[in-house]
Amino acid sequence: MGIQRDRVKFNVGGRIFETTSTTLANAGRNSMFGAMFDGDWNFQSETENSGGTGTEYFIDRNPDCFSVLLDLLRTQELHLPPNIPEKLLYREASFYGLLDHVRSAKWGQFNGNRLRLSRSVAGQAPGDGTAIRAGPDGGCCVAHGSMVHVYDWMLEEHPPISLDFQRVNDVGWVDSENVVISVCERLGRGNGGMGLFSSSSGELRHRFQVNHDNQIKSFTAGALSFSQDYKIFSSCRGRSNEYGIGVWDQVSGKQVDFFYEPPGWSLGDADKLQWLNGNNCLLVATLFPRKDNCYISLVDFRERKMVWNWSDISAAITVDEKRVRDAIAMEESNSVCVVNEFEDLGFIDLRVNGGSVRWSSRSRLMKGKMPDEPCYPKLALHEGQLFSSMNDCISVFCAPDWVLTSRLRRSYGGSICDFSIGGDRLFALHSEENVFDIWETPPPPII
Amino acid sequence: MSNQKKRNFQIEAFKHKVVVDPKYAEKTWKILEHAIHEIYNLNASGLSFEELYRNAYNMVLHKFGEKLYSGLVTTMTSHLIEISKSIEAAQGGLFLEELNRKWNDHNKAMQMIRDILMYMDRTYIPSTQKTPVHELGLNLWRDNIVHSPNIQTRLLTTLLDLIQRERSGEVINRGLMRNIIKLLMDLGPSVYQEDFEKHFLEVSAEFYKGESQKFINCCDCGDYLKEAERRLNEEFERVTHYLDTRSEVKITSVVEKEMIANHMPRLVHMENSGLVNMLLDDKYEDLKRMYNLFRRVSNGLLTIREVMTSHIRETGKQLVTDPEKSKDPVEFVQRLLDEKDKYDGIISSSFANDKTFQNALNSSFEYFLNLNPRSPEFISLFVDDKLRKGLKGVSEEDVEIILDKVMTLFRYLQEKDVFEKYYKQHLAKRLLSGKTVSDDAERSLIVKLKTECGYQFTCKLEGMFTDMKTSQDTMQGFYASHPELGGGPTLTVQVLTTGSWPTQPSVTCNLPAEMLALCEKFRSYYLGTHTGRRLSWQCNMGTADIKASFGKGQKHELNVSTYQMCVLMLFNKADRLSYKEIEQATEIPAPDLKRCLQSLACVKGKNVLRKEPMSKEIVEDDAFFVNDKFASKFYKVKIGTVVAQKESEPEKQETRQRVEEDRKPQIEAAIVRIMKSRKTLDHNNIIAEVTKQLQSRFLANPTEIKKRIESLIERDFLERDNTDRKLYRYLA
Repeated sequence: MGIQRDRVKFNVGGRIFETTSTTLANAGRNSMFGAMFDGDWNFQSETENSGGTGTEYFIDRNPDCFSVLLDLLRTQELHLPPNIPEKLLYREASFYGLLDHVRSAKWGQFNGNRLRLSRSVAGQAPGDGTAIRAGPDGGCCVAHGSMVHVYDWMLEEHPPISLDFQRVNDVGWVDSENVVISVCERLGRGNGGMGLFSSSSGELRHRFQVNHDNQIKSFTAGALSFSQDYKIFSSCRGRSNEYGIGVWDQVSGKQVDFFYEPPGWSLGDADKLQWLNGNNCLLVATLFPRKDNCYISLVDFRERKMVWNWSDISAAITVDEKRVRDAIAMEESNSVCVVNEFEDLGFIDLRVNGGSVRWSSRSRLMKGKMPDEPCYPKLALHEGQLFSSMNDCISVFCAPDWVLTSRLRRSYGGSICDFSIGGDRLFALHSEENVFDIWETPPPPII
Repeated sequence: MSNQKKRNFQIEAFKHKVVVDPKYAEKTWKILEHAIHEIYNLNASGLSFEELYRNAYNMVLHKFGEKLYSGLVTTMTSHLIEISKSIEAAQGGLFLEELNRKWNDHNKAMQMIRDILMYMDRTYIPSTQKTPVHELGLNLWRDNIVHSPNIQTRLLTTLLDLIQRERSGEVINRGLMRNIIKLLMDLGPSVYQEDFEKHFLEVSAEFYKGESQKFINCCDCGDYLKEAERRLNEEFERVTHYLDTRSEVKITSVVEKEMIANHMPRLVHMENSGLVNMLLDDKYEDLKRMYNLFRRVSNGLLTIREVMTSHIRETGKQLVTDPEKSKDPVEFVQRLLDEKDKYDGIISSSFANDKTFQNALNSSFEYFLNLNPRSPEFISLFVDDKLRKGLKGVSEEDVEIILDKVMTLFRYLQEKDVFEKYYKQHLAKRLLSGKTVSDDAERSLIVKLKTECGYQFTCKLEGMFTDMKTSQDTMQGFYASHPELGGGPTLTVQVLTTGSWPTQPSVTCNLPAEMLALCEKFRSYYLGTHTGRRLSWQCNMGTADIKASFGKGQKHELNVSTYQMCVLMLFNKADRLSYKEIEQATEIPAPDLKRCLQSLACVKGKNVLRKEPMSKEIVEDDAFFVNDKFASKFYKVKIGTVVAQKESEPEKQETRQRVEEDRKPQIEAAIVRIMKSRKTLDHNNIIAEVTKQLQSRFLANPTEIKKRIESLIERDFLERDNTDRKLYRYLA
């Protein structure tokens, strides 16, 4: 009889389901089942009153999807029969308040060596892609020219974002609801710069401003980075040589600092910013071919100075001319990893100033000729795995010796011009055909 | 026809979107609104959750989210206005209970409303940046109930009144209080602070101002502190029972300010019960309470410390400057030690071993101990007394304790070199007379002095011990090489290194012939084994054991000093000797001889000589006889020398002078050391540095330092700068 009392009978759109209150409890309080179960709604007592045979609980919804979702609550796994469109399932999960359950069951914890191509999404934007950025909950946004297209984790597209229709330089997620985009200055009108947008509705929520000598100046915003203490960093170029790094508060949206670039150095038109949490510093990298030389530095905003820097100004140009094309700081090994156009990895020690690049001996010469539209390599780091894109594939290297362990390749769409990791997904943007791929780690095996 | 037909078949342009029932939204909302009413009326059992949830879902889905949301606000507000009326209507004590009951109902209703509107809460509200349902419920409650003009002040006065009643000893319903305070806290920290805490603190300050006035006028200090402590605990308890924990600091600081900080000077100086009285009467409990309470306010401990310091200084000053009390040095030091023990006890048991208090105690002792220039001498005498006799039958640990205590006093001395002088003298006497009780205790004290002041301080003292040891060996060697001496008198010689021992004018006397011969033998033996040395006799420090038989045949062994021996030996050949004759025969210096004769003839029970005429004082015309009637219970009789234990005035002057003399080279050495490293230095800095360097031994006198500098300039160690006369240069 004890088992009897635990049983619950549902009539969903005409089909009868029986389950237990324990299974339903897996849905959590913040779901429809959680609310039904709460003492306030006399759910339990009604079941008891019916003498164990059980009153049916009628729910006016799709029974097929209910069965999938009930299974999800039973097993924490998601198995979608081919006859049910994904979108329908999402709609039903949203009704019951189980969307988060679906999302966490859909793909597993990120591991660069277990990635599978999940989907490719084609867009309609004209021209080459600029950047792709993964959101914290599995969504992404893609910048093409002056437009940013936002996709949620279900890969539903939301209204696109644009700031005065100026050319987008970088995009970043503040959280799953908010996106910052940095764009070129609108010449002569004093617009452009940086804006904060709602990722779901696409509306502009805040426009960031730069003050020089207590005067608001228009500016071109470049690379973006975010710190855990709620700051936004962006490289900025003003009209009258006000080059440097601007800092804003994420909560108030106000400018809190501006670090002017020192003479003979480059910060204002950086290609990449990276906040280093352990060192409390910002990595700023300005690279060839944006400038004739490469400048990489660490800026400490508390001491208001560059605490580390490296440049290839003085380095002799060799025959094969290895130029740094992307850089990423690796705090655990106290080094900066760089990559050249032949996808050779190099390392610079962060503990000494003025060190040189130690190029990895695993150098591979380009086989065959370069594609028509070459895309320069990019780097990303995720929990001890280093990712490097080259032409149409992404290589995965593992710490500590950065051994090549996997290669992600897909022939459709041409070279990869940018990629990003976040929300346990890897997004790769192709330069042709306007396509991006979503790579996921499958859920763990049953045993 | 055909045209008409054709017209009939014409399909109308699709002009309108498919529209759901225009009254759909209204109808659905009515259902939900009804449900909300039922929920507030506690009549929810008839509602179908599934239906309501689906309806709310549909409204959002069909873009009626705004209608749903604004409807919710209106409905909830109207219910809250009803609720506020029923709360207002509650009489007297029922007010809070009604408020609490309605609050619980509202919370439950909010939860249920949120349940049916869950879909809106999750999708519509974030995308439109509206207030979520639960928060909305709290905000509406705040605006319609807590901030309603008829409730706001009544709530505040009721709460404050209850607290006031509890403070005056009534029992109140703490559970209800806790619920109401929790209600305010749930509405956000600003509501709790603005609508309650702020006023609570003001009223409390007023209350404790009155309380403290009342008590301070009729209580003594101890009782007042007890009251303050009780009140403080009471407030602390109140916070744990029903207030926000963050209020604890605020309310206790109110009590601290009103009960303690504002009355500190009055409490400390309260007549007959203030701090000084507590110290005098050893009121550990009260002192501890005062410490713990005063510690909470700024400057509290400073106040206690200052009063304690000035009290210790005052009493200490009386102690050391009272001529009556400094008559007996042992008693004098014992009093100091007792005083120290007392305050150590107070600091450890009442003042939590507070370092700042220990420092204050130390500086006070240092201050008054050095007010009496004889303190070094007295401390040394105290040690002397303890090591002579005071430590007999005392366990090793206790000896250590006493010595450690003495060392603490020693640390306070500024003139440590004066102590060293006296200590050397007293130690010499102890060693030579063989009166030291425990070699271990002696050595342990030397070790302590060494750790305190360094090797230099004690090397001479240790030299004295070495001399004693080598002398023993020497004597063994002497008798081994002269086996023929077995029958005669036995001579024990202590060979003392000059310099290690206190310098004494080398006074000789005429030794008896038997002894003289023996001494000569020893001299030749010693100089034979050690070349290049000189021996000179120091008879004034020696002792002798002689056998004597008196008139009725009674035999005694007399333990006497060397001088006394010389005198007594004369009576082997004569029955009567005048003072003059004795002086001539022995050539003992007059003061010593007088003292020696005094102790032989005038001390009752030890008078082996008889004097004519009988009197206490020795005069030049006196004559002496052997006292045939001498009797003693003991076979061995120890005849002491009448010695002033304390130094006499001229002796004191002499010691002082010697100390001053000894300081000169030390000051000069310090000056040279400093100048050697600095090359040039101005006058004030030199004085400061020298004083600092010599601090561990004595407090150098600036005028003396100046004199030493002059002397060094004369001897071309230093020169004055040509332009700045205040500047000195070191001349290498």
